[in-house]
Amino acid sequence: MRRVVITGMGAISALGHDAASTWAGMREGRSGIGPIVDVPTELTNVKIAAQVRGFDAATHFDAKRLAFLDRVSQFALVAAREAVAQAGLDFRQAGRGDRTACIVGTGVGGEVTHDEQSERFYADKNPRLHPLTIVRLMPNAPASQVSIEFGISGPAFGVVSACASSNHAMAQAFDMLRNGKVDFAVTGGAEACITVPTIKSWEAMRITANDTCRPFCKQRRGMVIGEGAGIFVLEEYEHARARGATILAEFAGYGMSADAGDIVLPSQVGAEKALAGALADAHLDAAEIDYINAHGTATPANDPTETKAIRRVFGAHADKLAVSSTKGVHGHALGAAGAIELIAAIGALREGVIPPTANFLDADPECDLDYVPNTARQQPVRAALSNSFAFGGLNAVVALKRAS
Amino acid sequence: MSSVQETIFSIISKEAGIDLGKITLESTLKDLDIQSLDAVQIIFEIEDQFKITLPDRDPKFDTESVKGLVEAVERLLAEKAAGTTTATQG
Repeated sequence: MRRVVITGMGAISALGHDAASTWAGMREGRSGIGPIVDVPTELTNVKIAAQVRGFDAATHFDAKRLAFLDRVSQFALVAAREAVAQAGLDFRQAGRGDRTACIVGTGVGGEVTHDEQSERFYADKNPRLHPLTIVRLMPNAPASQVSIEFGISGPAFGVVSACASSNHAMAQAFDMLRNGKVDFAVTGGAEACITVPTIKSWEAMRITANDTCRPFCKQRRGMVIGEGAGIFVLEEYEHARARGATILAEFAGYGMSADAGDIVLPSQVGAEKALAGALADAHLDAAEIDYINAHGTATPANDPTETKAIRRVFGAHADKLAVSSTKGVHGHALGAAGAIELIAAIGALREGVIPPTANFLDADPECDLDYVPNTARQQPVRAALSNSFAFGGLNAVVALKRAS
Repeated sequence: MSSVQETIFSIISKEAGIDLGKITLESTLKDLDIQSLDAVQIIFEIEDQFKITLPDRDPKFDTESVKGLVEAVERLLAEKAAGTTTATQG
């Protein structure tokens, strides 16, 4: 089977509008969580989020194009432009378009459009809805818009698995490359669903924090909703080498599982299967993993369950692992989470720096791994895992290796 | 049995799918084998029916008993009647 490498990355998150500022924020443990802006909070109990701030869509898209783009597709395109520019590939040349996959995950798709048009209809009693409502809100819109922008004419579709959407999407793209169905892929995830009804819906589940997001520590109160996108260019290894592309990391494998049990309560066994599956698929020994970017949502249930699953799969090596959740700085970007968090894994592999678990106060006896609290650590990283465990019991873990 | 208590018992029974007869004031969520998602649905129904807002983590319905929940609802209803709290969106 062919080797697959990452030759381009792009991101937009609460930490910044590109991959470099997103990584810098993670490394510094600089939290992008703050008071909610641009969304009315009179009716919400939750007053904080990890929003993409200072984003002016008009500086990225002309008015005609913008009419087609929900915020979620805007994010996907901004991240994709950065990734494709870095990779330095023109998919319209040399028949590449047909040999390229475009697979982009999202949890809910065009939620801002859905909310605006619902308000227009139900609240304003305006019977006329915008004719581009459907093309803006469909969950495959981010994938479609990226394929249109770059002339990617191979397999293209959206992937939906709540908070694991990005990892499921990227694993699909990886498989197509590894198996020779395509030679390139533009893949990742995007999310933009910070609207009043969505905030209220998360509130109703009673798993959101109102102070900040504090993964794995005793004082954790739950998740903080985030948004953004992460998009990557995957490429066959020999091709990337031959053209002298900068290889950011090797995409080594993935593991997937379904809990097939509770719709929200995480299953330790489900997480173990995905973790062990990723190691096996990537032909990595547990002892070769130096860093895990945890799912680490800071909910009471996730963090101890994830900790136990890591301990079970890694045995004695669990105590040598650096495990951090970067959600304390970029929030829980839901369908974009895995893609934004892949920036952390790539940064750790390239720079030998473990991004910390931010906002960490006191240790919880139930969470007893090395979470690299609050301060980044210099440490060589040979291989890393990135965990996503979604509502619905859908798990996807991806494995990366340092470029060689 | 007060009507508040009766309503709460009936909500618990309906939302968690358990026999009304199994619920007592001393029961905890653990005794009744009620999972977290059932618990938030119970809280939602109680808030919606009584038009009150229960604080996020109090009463500790998961560790304390149904009695604690009934008392918390009665307290909030009394406060609402006395006008010491404003009516809330659920």
